[in-house]
Amino acid sequence: MKRKLPHPSFLAAFLGVLILTIIPVHAVVDDALSFAYECAAPYVKDNYTVREEAWAGDLGEQEAKAILHQLFKGNDYWFWMGTDVMSAKISVHIYDAEGNLAETDSWQRKNFAAARIKPKKSGSYYVVIKIEDSPTERTHYGLVYGYR
Amino acid sequence: MKFLLTACLATALSWSAVGQPPAKIDVSQFPATMVDDVVVPVPSEIFSVLDKLGSPNWQAQLRQDSSDQLGNRAHIALLLGATVAEGFIAVQAQNPEKVKEIGKNVLKYSEAIGVRDAVIQHSNSIIEAADKRDWNRVRSELDRAQQNVRQAMAELRDEQLAQLVSLGGWLRGTEVLTAIVRDDYSKDGADLLHQPKLVSYFEEQLKNMPPGFARDPVVKKIQTVLSKITPLVSVDTISLESVKEIHGMTAEIIVLIMKP
Repeated sequence: MKRKLPHPSFLAAFLGVLILTIIPVHAVVDDALSFAYECAAPYVKDNYTVREEAWAGDLGEQEAKAILHQLFKGNDYWFWMGTDVMSAKISVHIYDAEGNLAETDSWQRKNFAAARIKPKKSGSYYVVIKIEDSPTERTHYGLVYGYR
Repeated sequence: MKFLLTACLATALSWSAVGQPPAKIDVSQFPATMVDDVVVPVPSEIFSVLDKLGSPNWQAQLRQDSSDQLGNRAHIALLLGATVAEGFIAVQAQNPEKVKEIGKNVLKYSEAIGVRDAVIQHSNSIIEAADKRDWNRVRSELDRAQQNVRQAMAELRDEQLAQLVSLGGWLRGTEVLTAIVRDDYSKDGADLLHQPKLVSYFEEQLKNMPPGFARDPVVKKIQTVLSKITPLVSVDTISLESVKEIHGMTAEIIVLIMKP
């Protein structure tokens, strides 16, 4: 699992504070990932296999991140994103190697977002996640994907 | 670096919260370091497409041998990855005995490399699910076993070894993919080999291996093979000749991995 845990600089001041703070930070990142898995759960009934490969981390408002992903023509993929910040708006979209929007479907509801792609060609794609709007300085996210 | 990357993307990808995403983005805004985040697919992602394209004889693709003689840590990591890939082939073949044998081997190789604890639960689950012929669960447990091994290696600061696990699985998966496409060639089947960035990613990982691993003859051989595969999979239509060539090279490597 690829995790990008936050490293707030002020924590470095005191080791004791560091230890006390890191534990809840892990918990929050895991919470965000749990929401991503929750988002994926209904799709499992539709025969999607959810991969163990998952991402979790934090981003600021209007900040985005891209993941380079090999996808195969013939498969039907969903990428599911979740956050533990209930009032945040997040998004996930999929672009081909030339930067063209390539998804066949996408949606955003509450603290979840998802995008679907049936690749027209096997190759590399960019999965772009973004924190659109959030009341917190940093917003934890989790991202998982599945295929059938 | 990652911070700079995300900040840069924030500018490149500014669309409103309620609006539609842009129809096109400038991918040149993505620095080359994004390759760090390349996702290595599990073989079943490719095998599921092959099943849609035809009726491959999965049983014929299973290896009859298993390796009892273990080499150095680099070898074992490659062998572990190749063995997990073998598990996915056995699932496609719906062969419970082979799956159980693979479940035991995954545990054996994990123990040899010092990550037994990360795998034992999954090894048992693989065996239990194979007995019940619960193939979806076997697939999940194989995926989990591989992820846990890689994570355990990363925690032990053995990221390079974790990459070799992925590479071993990719090589075995590619050997089987090319065998099936070679025997029943189609453009769509060959298109599954269109993975230039993934191959480049593995090449890059091998270039950055510590000297101890980089000097290993099998690792060196893989480096040579990857450099030959890159141009073959970077074209729009991958020919039957290229499929055969990739098969020959990956099959040769797998023999070296299985028999150190």
